[in-house]
This record gives sequence, structure tokens and C-alpha cells, in this order.
Amino acid sequence: MSARTAVLARLAAAQRTARLPTPPAAKPLVSATRSVAECGERFARELAGLGVDGHVESSPEGVRARVSALVEGKKVLSWDPDQLPYGLGAVLGEAARGSSPRADQAAAEIGVTGCHGAIAETGSLAVLSGPGRSRTVSLLPPVHVAIVTPPDFCFTMGEFFAREARRIGEAACCTFITGPSRTADIELTLTLGVHGPGKVVVVVGP
Amino acid sequence: MSQTPAFPLRVRAALLDERLHVALGRATDALRSRRSAAIGSLEGFDEVRDLARKIKMELLADLSSHLQRFEERLIANGVSVHWAETGADANRIVAGIAKSHGARRIVKSKSMATEETHLNQALQREGMEVVETDLGEYIVQLAEDRPSHIILPIIHLTREDVGEVMHRRIGVPRTGDPQTLAAYARAKLREEFLSADMGITGANFGVVETGTICLVTNEGNGRMVTTLPRVHVAVMGIEKLVPTLGDLDVFLKLLARSATGQKITTYTTLIRGPRRRGDECGPEAMHVVLLDNGRSRILSGENAEILGCIRCGACLNACPIYKSIGGHAYGDTYPGPIGAIVTPGLRGLRGWSELPAASTLCGACRDVCPIRLDIPRMLLGLRRDTAREEGAPWSLRLGLKAFAWIAPRPALYRAATRMARAFLRFRARDGWLRRAPGLASGWTRVRDLKAPAAKTFQQMWKERQS
Repeated sequence: MSARTAVLARLAAAQRTARLPTPPAAKPLVSATRSVAECGERFARELAGLGVDGHVESSPEGVRARVSALVEGKKVLSWDPDQLPYGLGAVLGEAARGSSPRADQAAAEIGVTGCHGAIAETGSLAVLSGPGRSRTVSLLPPVHVAIVTPPDFCFTMGEFFAREARRIGEAACCTFITGPSRTADIELTLTLGVHGPGKVVVVVGP
Repeated sequence: MSQTPAFPLRVRAALLDERLHVALGRATDALRSRRSAAIGSLEGFDEVRDLARKIKMELLADLSSHLQRFEERLIANGVSVHWAETGADANRIVAGIAKSHGARRIVKSKSMATEETHLNQALQREGMEVVETDLGEYIVQLAEDRPSHIILPIIHLTREDVGEVMHRRIGVPRTGDPQTLAAYARAKLREEFLSADMGITGANFGVVETGTICLVTNEGNGRMVTTLPRVHVAVMGIEKLVPTLGDLDVFLKLLARSATGQKITTYTTLIRGPRRRGDECGPEAMHVVLLDNGRSRILSGENAEILGCIRCGACLNACPIYKSIGGHAYGDTYPGPIGAIVTPGLRGLRGWSELPAASTLCGACRDVCPIRLDIPRMLLGLRRDTAREEGAPWSLRLGLKAFAWIAPRPALYRAATRMARAFLRFRARDGWLRRAPGLASGWTRVRDLKAPAAKTFQQMWKERQS
């Protein structure tokens, strides 16, 4: 008998004698729809609490200028230009990409990505993997710059799951990033940037 | 698995460790207050707990169908699925996967399931190199120690202890500064991530509907381990399922708040198979090992609800016993109130029957549990089973018989308590007994006994009425 058959047979028998408590009556989660403005406001507040630098730009030029200033003089790793909003590829110069040798990616000082969702309730960025959108970009460099467009906003993670079900299904990996990498393993002392980026910058465009 | 030394000796060693008390007290107090603050940030926290409990209990009632559906979805996502009846089977399966991919260098992110099966030692015996990458677990591995808390593995170590271990094992200049120590660990482990052939993780949740493995970490090591090596193996207890992504949202709202007091962990990673066509990174092959190892036995009985545990550790921080003796005294992978039920469940009551007794039944664990698991009820049930199997000691049986005879006879009861009180008050110094006589001597072996009050409640009541 295979292990699979054995485990399933044991479970089927166990379910017959299991003394599970009666499930409590409970309503499914519902959240009132919020406007983009409301979401943006809450998102900014959460980012501040997480120690994330948040910038709001009112024009594509403003976003490009902001990112250009952030990457100035640094070795950049970025998503492919066709995956970035606001024509950002133009200001990233000779950036390494997900297709570059691993060593070049690992040497980058700053990573630039877009995102697929900005979860207001927790200040989280939702990022889906795919061609031209390497997971390494938001992971390996010590600084992560993420660009948010207004349609990315949703209030809860549950709303994001519902809205983006198809795209989530196409991606091997969906990551929610909430602030900088952190640990408190040593005497509960907060330390940032233990494996992932120690600094996260979010630029919200028009 | 044998426990050495025996439970009472482990407890005594822990109780005498002054430094351990300071460390445990600080950490559990801080986590408790962070949790309290965090639950305030979620409107209707208790309704969300009810919902999570409902989802889990309904799922467990039909776990076998959910597991089969989950397996189907995993396979459709390009994942190889393996079933392990025991921990040893799981270890053999993982070693076999490593061999089949020619993998020798392995990085791991924190996983309780592989801690439970002692996977690291098994792989090392096969000549493979295994590195833990969660900072706390990395230090545990360097120190050849064991984790003592579900989410804070080195809660029992001071910063100076950590500095000493890192100095001795990897030549870090002596320091007790957590930032410096973490920076050294980052540099060292970054090399490991970039050169590893295979990554091993647990699974915080498995989403049935989509065949997704959900991992939560704060450091980002879980992402590294599932992004850089060419093979990813997730070892998952069969109880860790949730039906849909919408349900996952419910559990994620509870997990971090209950564990560290965050609204959500820094990284929540949902993995749906190996890299897809055109992806520049991610593993070329992904395996999921579904681990039973005693879980089906737990499901068959009256403690089935414990399988709803999401391993947040809130019950440890709330428990006065955990706070006094720490995680190591519990002797196995899962410490605290949850461990006192899970360990006898997974390993059998024989040899572990003292754990359910290590509780005051105060109920603090049930109050903080995000799934509202009735931990005191299960502890009591295990005590009953222990008494049935092992029998109670003669002194306890005699004492209870005597009590049962005296208690329904008020005059006798009053006379007996009057005598006992007078005697104990006579023996007390400054209101405390350091050594109680006879049957009560066990109590004072590790603590003082407060002397009885001058008047009983009944006396005071009578005086008040007159």
C-alpha cells in the first residue's frame, strides 16, 4: 500500500471518530468599498508607520525625476522597461535585469519595480512574478524602490485576491511586501535589512 | 524519542536559571503587550477569530477530500507531490529528492515540521550541507542548541550569548550588538543563498482551491530560499490547509497580530509551482511533502481541534508555566500549552504524560488563541487519560478519598481545616512556609507556601452578618 493510500485511509477513518467542536456561527468578511483617495491616505499612513519613505508625484515627469534622483550614482537592478510604468526605463540607464548574470544582480545597490496591488489596510505592495519581473529585484539589493499607480490600490488583501484572481493564477509567485526586511530574534531588538532590503521607498504616480 | 534528563529535572534546572527568567519575562511581556495593541488595529477581531475557527473546524471534518483536491491542484501547477506517514519517511523522501537533483548544498527557512522530523541531522548523515537561514535558527544551529519558542527560537539567549557563539563558530569579532551580529549573519548567509542547489521550507498554509503554498517571514529568508536555488521542497503538515485565498486572508489577519503584534509579516509569499515559461528566476523543480506523522491519530480523537493551531505562539507568551520554565523543559519541538497537547498527540502519551500536568488551567492560552482552541479542556482530557493508563499515586488517591469523606461533613470539615490552619500558621515565618510537612512537602520543594489567613472566609462572613 502506498503512503498516500495509507494516509488517506487513516484520515477517512479518523474523520468518522473525530470529536470536533461545533463550528461557531460566523459571517464572512465584508469591507465597504473605499475610494482611491481613501486608500491612498491610509496607505501613506501605514507606510509611515513601517518606516517606508513614501512620495506622491502628480505627473509622469515627476515620477521619473524622483526615481532618477534615487538611483543617481548607484548600481541598479530593475524590472524590464516594458514592465515599468511612466516610461521609467528611460531614466534607469545601464541597469542590470532579471536576465543578467546572478553576480551582477547580487552586486546591485538599488532595485526598481512596479507592483500589481497596493494594499491600503496594511501598507503592503503586491508583486507578481513573470517574464521581465524577476523576484530578485525586490529581494537582493539593500534598497527597494516600488512604483505604485492609482489603479493598484485596494483596501484589503481579500479585495486584491478577488480583483486579480486571473493574474495571480498566471504567476508562479505572488509576494506581499510590507516595509523593510526585519528581525527581532536577538533580545527582541529590531534590526532592519537582515536578508531582504533594509530600506523601502514607494513612489505613487498620477 | 527519549527525553534526557527527565521532566522534573529539566524543570528544576530551568527554575534555578535566574538569567533564563529575566530573558523569558522580558520577551513574553513585550510580545503580550504588542499583541494587545495589534488586535486593537483590527475591527471585529473576535468575529474574525470565530470565522477562522469555523473555517478550520469544517475543513478538518473533511480533511481527506481537501487534501486530495489540494494534491490535484499542486500537480496541475507542476509540483511533484510526496506523502510521508512518519517523520523518518519524510526525511528519506527529502534526501531522495536532493539526490535525484544532484543537490548537496541546501538552505532552509524556518520550519516547525522539519524540526519535528529532525530533517537536518538526517540530511547531514547523507553527507549534505544544510544551513538554517532564519537568524534565530541559524544561531541555534551554530550553537548546536534547540529552539525554545515557536517564533523566537533563541528567546533563551542573551545578546552576549549570541555574540559568543558567532565568535566561536564563524570568527565574528566579539560583540553583543544585535545590529552588528545581524549584519555578519546577512553577509555569511547571502553567500549560502547564492550558492545553494536546493531550498527547503515548511508551509504556513496550503490553499486548496489554487494549490498554493503560503510562507510568511520577516527577514526575507523564505523568499531567498524559494527564489534562488534550482529546487524547492516544502514539507507541510497535512492539517495546514485553508480552502480558498479569501479564507487565507482571514488567517493572515490573525497570525501576525497574535504572534509578533504586526498587522502582517513583512513578506507573505504565495507560491504556485516552479518557475513558469519566461521567468528569469525561481526553482526549476518544486516538491511538496505532505506529512502525517501522528496527525491522523490526533484527528481520530477528542483533541482533533488542536489541528486548527496556526503556530503563532501566543499561548506560550500568555502561559505562566512557559514563562517560568521556558521551551526546553517541554522536551520536544512544540513547547508551551500547545506543545503539551501536540507532543503527546504526535509521540504518544507514554513518556510525555507530565506535559499536560504542567499547567495551572488558568485559561490564558484559550483567551489569546486566534482560533479559540479550548486548550484547558484538552489538557484535562489528557490528564484523565494519564490517570487511567498510569494510575494515580497512592498518596493522591488516599488524599482525595479523605477529602471526599470529610468535605460533605461540615462540622468535621471545619474542625479539620481549623487544625490544619493552626498548625501551618505555627510553622510559618513572616507569613510563609519554606518547608511544609507530609503530603504538602512536594509543594514547597520548589516554592514557598503562603501561610493561611488568620480568619477563614466563613468566619469573616459570620462576623459581617452579626
